[in-house]
Amino acid sequence: MNKELEHRFVTELEDNQNIVHKVCSLYTNDRDSHKDLFQEITIQLWKAYPKFRGDSKFSTWMYRVALNTAITLYRKSKKRVDTQDYDSVIFKIKADEYDDTEEKQLKLMYNAIKQLGDIDKALVFLYLEDKDYSEISETLGITEVNARVKMNRIKNKLRTILNP
Amino acid sequence: MDELELLKKDWQKKEEHLPKLSYDDIYPMIWKKSSSMVKWIFYISIIEFVFWAAINFVSSDPQYMQDLKAMHIYNIMMVLNFVNYGIILYFIFKFYLNYKKISVTDSSRKLMKTILKVKRTVTQYVWFNLIIFATYMIISLYGVLIFSDEGRKIVETATEQGNEMTFWFLVIVVSILFTGVLLVVIWLFYRLLYGILLKRLKENYRELKKLEV
Repeated sequence: MNKELEHRFVTELEDNQNIVHKVCSLYTNDRDSHKDLFQEITIQLWKAYPKFRGDSKFSTWMYRVALNTAITLYRKSKKRVDTQDYDSVIFKIKADEYDDTEEKQLKLMYNAIKQLGDIDKALVFLYLEDKDYSEISETLGITEVNARVKMNRIKNKLRTILNP
Repeated sequence: MDELELLKKDWQKKEEHLPKLSYDDIYPMIWKKSSSMVKWIFYISIIEFVFWAAINFVSSDPQYMQDLKAMHIYNIMMVLNFVNYGIILYFIFKFYLNYKKISVTDSSRKLMKTILKVKRTVTQYVWFNLIIFATYMIISLYGVLIFSDEGRKIVETATEQGNEMTFWFLVIVVSILFTGVLLVVIWLFYRLLYGILLKRLKENYRELKKLEV
């Protein structure tokens, strides 16, 4: 019985691990912290898994647990790497994939997002993941209207960073 | 905003570059120990409950009870003790209930709120103990001065020299100062401890709450 639960959980996490990796690369600055956060999110997911009823999709449920762990439960390790010499995989841009201006724009955008606060990052993340405002608002615990207002403010903030 | 749409497309393309862990990489992870903040709060709270309970326990050894009887403050101390234990049990119960409510599947805002609530219970517990502790100290001091032989001698000497008022004034000032310093030191300690632990959580919670105004 337990073995079966373990197996089901690990398989589902393996299939959906991208979500966790994306959260990790957004909230950490170096490889060790990335691993650390991934580990902690996995533990929290596993602890909550027996109560997962399957009313919602596994991935939807994962977004919530992963973000909550990153924003609230995870303690950043002391050795914070603030230098930008490490760009986690997702922020790396292959030169040949884009023409110059586009590449530059994207690079600037990713850097700007990395500088946002925890909550703003969560909003941008869910937005980039193509979540609608009702899901965003439910995940964060704010109203839909406020989620929209907040998102507009972040867009403005990003715009000013991009076009000073 | 065109840039953000561009980013969205790019973001979704990025998936192929993400690290890929295998089943065997993930499996051992589920048995590792969590180092979440909630766990820290839990341990610190347990230490606090044990610490203050131990102080209560140590201060009720038989010899001390005899001294209290001699000083005629036994009854009042017993009443205080009784109330004290009742309230400690209440706090432990409340702490347990609040702690159980912490759920990582709640919305971010609710999760933060429940964690802060647990912390508030512990803070209240500590304040309550400090007040009880100060009350014990003051009653003991009073008992020693009025009823013990040495105390009586000191008071008598002061009275003979005509300094009774000054003497009592000094006693009051010294006990207030002593209690005050003790409270400030302990308060600072907690500010530091929870300050480090909860700074980020409080900031994030404030930001979410600010949205709702």
